Amino acid sequence: MVRWIWLLMLVVLPLAGARAETAPDEIKIGHLHAGSGPYAAISMPVYMGLKLWVDRTNAAGGAMVKPFGKRIKLKLISYDDQSNTATAATLYNQLITQDKVDLLIADSGSVLTSVAVPIAREHKMFLFNPTGTGATFFSKDNPYIALMADPVSTIWPKYISDFLTTEGVKQGIKKVAILYATNEFTGTQANAVRGFLKAANAGIEIVYDQGVPTNTSNYTVLINNIAAAKPDAVIHLGYVGNDIAFLRNLQDSGEAFRFLFCIYPGLETEEVEKNVGAAGLANVFTYATAIDVDYKPTTGMTLAQFAEAWKHDYPDTPVHFGFNALAGYMTGLVLEGTLATTASLDQLDLHNAVFGLSGKLNTLDGPFVLDETGGQIGEITPLGQLLPEGKDGLKMRIVFPAAVATGPAVLGKP
Amino acid sequence: MLLYAIFAGLVFGLYFTLVGLGLNLVFGVMRIVNLAHGDFLMLGAFAAFWLFTLFDLHPLVSAVIVLVGFVLIGLPLYWLIVPRLLEARDSEMLSIILFFGLSQMIEAITTIAFGTSERSIPGRVLGRGPVHIFDQSLPRAWVFGAAVSAVAVLLVYLYLYRTRLGMLTRAVMVSREEALATGINVHRVAALAFGIGLALAGIAGVFAPFMLGSITPAMGVEINIAAFAVIVIGTLGQPLGTVLGGMIYGVSLMLMQTYLSSWANLLPNLLLIAVLLIRPTGLLGRRVRHA
Repeated sequence: MVRWIWLLMLVVLPLAGARAETAPDEIKIGHLHAGSGPYAAISMPVYMGLKLWVDRTNAAGGAMVKPFGKRIKLKLISYDDQSNTATAATLYNQLITQDKVDLLIADSGSVLTSVAVPIAREHKMFLFNPTGTGATFFSKDNPYIALMADPVSTIWPKYISDFLTTEGVKQGIKKVAILYATNEFTGTQANAVRGFLKAANAGIEIVYDQGVPTNTSNYTVLINNIAAAKPDAVIHLGYVGNDIAFLRNLQDSGEAFRFLFCIYPGLETEEVEKNVGAAGLANVFTYATAIDVDYKPTTGMTLAQFAEAWKHDYPDTPVHFGFNALAGYMTGLVLEGTLATTASLDQLDLHNAVFGLSGKLNTLDGPFVLDETGGQIGEITPLGQLLPEGKDGLKMRIVFPAAVATGPAVLGKP
Repeated sequence: MLLYAIFAGLVFGLYFTLVGLGLNLVFGVMRIVNLAHGDFLMLGAFAAFWLFTLFDLHPLVSAVIVLVGFVLIGLPLYWLIVPRLLEARDSEMLSIILFFGLSQMIEAITTIAFGTSERSIPGRVLGRGPVHIFDQSLPRAWVFGAAVSAVAVLLVYLYLYRTRLGMLTRAVMVSREEALATGINVHRVAALAFGIGLALAGIAGVFAPFMLGSITPAMGVEINIAAFAVIVIGTLGQPLGTVLGGMIYGVSLMLMQTYLSSWANLLPNLLLIAVLLIRPTGLLGRRVRHA
């Protein structure tokens, strides 16, 4: 018996010693955010949501890191890329080669993620991609990326098309106009909508299909041109600044369409409503995100708890609380799950751990499910509609698909 | 669609005349490039936003406050920066660097103070519904923006051609050295022109939330590109040539949006290159610049 104890000690003690020696003092998380520039409005909430997760995790003693069998404090290194892709490229390289971060998180949105994808791949760093949904980021031969908090753009607009080709057709929708900003995020969604509408073969004709630069700030002439094509439905795909300008110009023009879809009224409702007003958003169709759907998370805070935590941690912040704040926190939760299950901090082991969470993680953003390329397919957002409530209020109604709908869609008069 | 694009372009272009007017005045008098012009416009926009949010002030009232306020800011700023700059051997080049730095500072401070979110003033403040002119319907804000721009152009014209200070200003624009030799207090004239230039940017900013959808601290860069296109087309250093530059810019932009929308953001650069290659002195050429 004594011999067995000695033998066990001879085997276990060196291993335990080795563990203690190799466990790092901190896990370095590299991240970029846009503190200024056109993408700041979508980037800062993600950064602050992520930071909230880091702060709270550290307050609880750090994140459990399986390879070392203990909690380790997190260090968030987040640089400001000022919405500039060239600056972002330099800073991504700096995070990898100079700061030698253990985990790499992309900036928010497809434009600033686009430069991270090849850099991460070249350095064989796994890229935690919060909201860069561009379809070209994901391929079977690139194991170094996964999308955290938004559905991949190729499937994201599916419910728009499904609604139009079923409910819409029943209510007389026959002509559709598509106006999109020419960037990876919205360009991919425009392609997807076009493809879905054509594949459905439901008798819907695309009568206007134009792209505009992402920095477009005036849509008056474009709206006039769209109206001239007499569409029943208009799908506008742009970033938050595009949506604000488009909706304001639409109000000013006096034009109205039976069905109008915009992305950001659902994603950043507070910010868009402040700029456009409740009247300008009345009856607009949009994505109903986790802000409007009270998912029952098995990991992390509920929506209400997170909203309370945000208010507590950032009482005076000018950054709006919206879906992107959830996306940052959600990314943190995936990191937490990854560190708790990974075999090592080797980047391919991180890949395996992230993909191992697929289908098992339910957060306040819904079910986390990845396809084989790392594209997010679990958190697909239902189609919602903002309906007037009270004097100057708005209420999100989920209108499609039927399984999660909270009421019928309200289309304008023909 | 063609008729509407041209008509809307003329009205929209009139607003861009206002955007470029101050920049051109400053360049004309001081031969310095104010790369912070777009940021002063942004500050005017934020001033209008806060004046509306806190005191419910109509943009036209805000425009008057901004006019006075920016002239008062411009005068000490001139004395702080420009005289030393003009003593340098290559003041034009140095001004680009200096005002680029100032631009970065303004954007950074505004970002820290107000955050990065988009902001705007409700369109209803200027009235509801479009305005119908010549069978075309235009946003009410455009009509306001164009009207204010027209008034600003008229006032600048009256200042330059109907006042003694304006005459002195034109003298400095023709030749700073000769103006100095004839005893003109060049710095006094230039300081006022600098203040007026900033005030014009500020007034353009007051209407930016309506003309450009929303405002952010980062909007200055885009504004600068458009403003440079406008003044280069209309002739650098000739404030009233900015009217022509603005109109051409507005009509071209609307035609591009109508027929080649994906490429519309190339327009300022294309116009700049075309004018610099074909007629480097601008469409109004040296006749006016050296009058």
